[in-house]
Amino acid sequence: MKLSMHLFATIAAAAIGLSACDYDGYEPNEPGRLVPRTADEDATVPSINANGTKLHAETFGDPLNPILLVLHGGPGADYRSLLNCRAFAAQGYFVVFYDQRGSGLSQRHPKSLYTLKTLEDDVGAVIRYYRRSPAQKVFLLGHSWGGMLATAYVNSNPTVVNGLIIGEAGGLVWKDVEDYISRSRDFGLLSEALNNATYADQFFTGRKDQHQILDYKFALLTSTDGAKDSPVGNEGSLPYWRSGAVVFDALYNLGKKQRPDWTANLAQFRTRVLFVYSQNNTAYGEAHARKVSGAFPNVQLERINDAGHDMISFPRGFANFFPLALTYLNGLR
Amino acid sequence: MNKVAFAILSCLGACSVASAQNINWRAFRTGPASTISVNAGLDYGVAFGVAYGRRVSSRVPIVLGADYSFPAGDRLIDDFKVRSGLQIEVIHAGRFSATAKIAGIFRRFENTQALLQNFGGEFAGVAGYYTRRWFVAGEVTFDKAIVTHVKHTKEARDLNPGLVTGWYIPTGGNLLTGVQTGVTLGRTDFTLKAGQVLSEDFRTKPLIPFYTQLSYGIRF
Repeated sequence: MKLSMHLFATIAAAAIGLSACDYDGYEPNEPGRLVPRTADEDATVPSINANGTKLHAETFGDPLNPILLVLHGGPGADYRSLLNCRAFAAQGYFVVFYDQRGSGLSQRHPKSLYTLKTLEDDVGAVIRYYRRSPAQKVFLLGHSWGGMLATAYVNSNPTVVNGLIIGEAGGLVWKDVEDYISRSRDFGLLSEALNNATYADQFFTGRKDQHQILDYKFALLTSTDGAKDSPVGNEGSLPYWRSGAVVFDALYNLGKKQRPDWTANLAQFRTRVLFVYSQNNTAYGEAHARKVSGAFPNVQLERINDAGHDMISFPRGFANFFPLALTYLNGLR
Repeated sequence: MNKVAFAILSCLGACSVASAQNINWRAFRTGPASTISVNAGLDYGVAFGVAYGRRVSSRVPIVLGADYSFPAGDRLIDDFKVRSGLQIEVIHAGRFSATAKIAGIFRRFENTQALLQNFGGEFAGVAGYYTRRWFVAGEVTFDKAIVTHVKHTKEARDLNPGLVTGWYIPTGGNLLTGVQTGVTLGRTDFTLKAGQVLSEDFRTKPLIPFYTQLSYGIRF
């Protein structure tokens, strides 16, 4: 009886308190509440229209200088974690960043509109958007998935770009991608990181068209990459705007189905490629780096010390990466 | 009354009548009226828990109870789930029993991006073959996350200042279908349940699309 009275009093107090609230709760799929608004939802987001979509994009440096186009990882991540590369602008490069279709602050699309070929075509469209003349040199810098996308573009267009920097691309054939993903997701069964990734599934569920909810859940999931027990060896969580859950899901499933091979035409790309891997990513390592980079006929393989997978994003890694990359670029300009 | 208040009070109301454990309805009809159990399994992650149940005197067999569970990890109090409710045997025909469960849920999740606190409900039906020594039954459970308070961490707000802290409604639901079985030895019960998890749209699956639970209980 005492317990019942206590419960009744608790509920009554909660009712009075909660009734004082003047809102009915937020709709989780409403733009801008759980994840930021995208370029098509917010006119203040800097953007370009290319290949039939609106891409969040920014540039740094003189537009007439050689272009350094930076391709972020994921799929579904964004370029916020790669902004250290703005430093190349002060060294005479026109640095171009964009969030890939469906990623970051770029426009979302239905899952069926994301294909590997479309994202590859977007790279070409962005180059054409910014290139002032055929004489203006173009360099690609792709990190992780961005390295795979950069390679896919070069494989299809071996004569367009004048240099290529790749950081820990998972693989250039699907088997290598699978192997790397398997190792990089090898959390202990009882680890905080694994359960942080999976436990949130009971709080939020989203239908395939509820992008804001899916993106928010994906952000909660991907933040585990910064966990201390993650094998990728990062110093912490990455800065980001929005994690694109649907583009990730679409491209990953297409990869599993189509098992792409982006190496068939690489023999035609004779330019030296700078391929970097990190000291602290135990899921990658020198052996995998040699295997993946071996697809290029002319490659300079370098280890970035004191860094994990996202070596460009954190100060120590970038301090070791920048001089190498600058020397490489200056040698080709 | 606004939607958030209504949702939370509905969950509290379910909790106030109080559970959710695997019961051998033939063995638990007579004798000691209380049972306590410990369990481990997969419940949106590797999880461990403890549960208490009490049979109440009534014309219809009813068990009230509560359970607490938490996922594995370095920090054991940042994520957890408390569930409280009742289970009623609605059909009893020979060795066949069908029961209905309703429970209120409070759950908490915290990582570098957010603190989530959710009030939800669980609605289940269990039907199967029961003897005093063992049972096997099928179960269907709808686990509804009715309203969730999202508090973005400073790290998340520094990255995206426009993020809105507050109550979000509705936020999700999962359908669990599976089987449960158990053996009774004197006053102890060993039970096992397992099944699959599907989101409420009946298409998408959570990262761990199945659940399991191994439980050891004592009646007293």
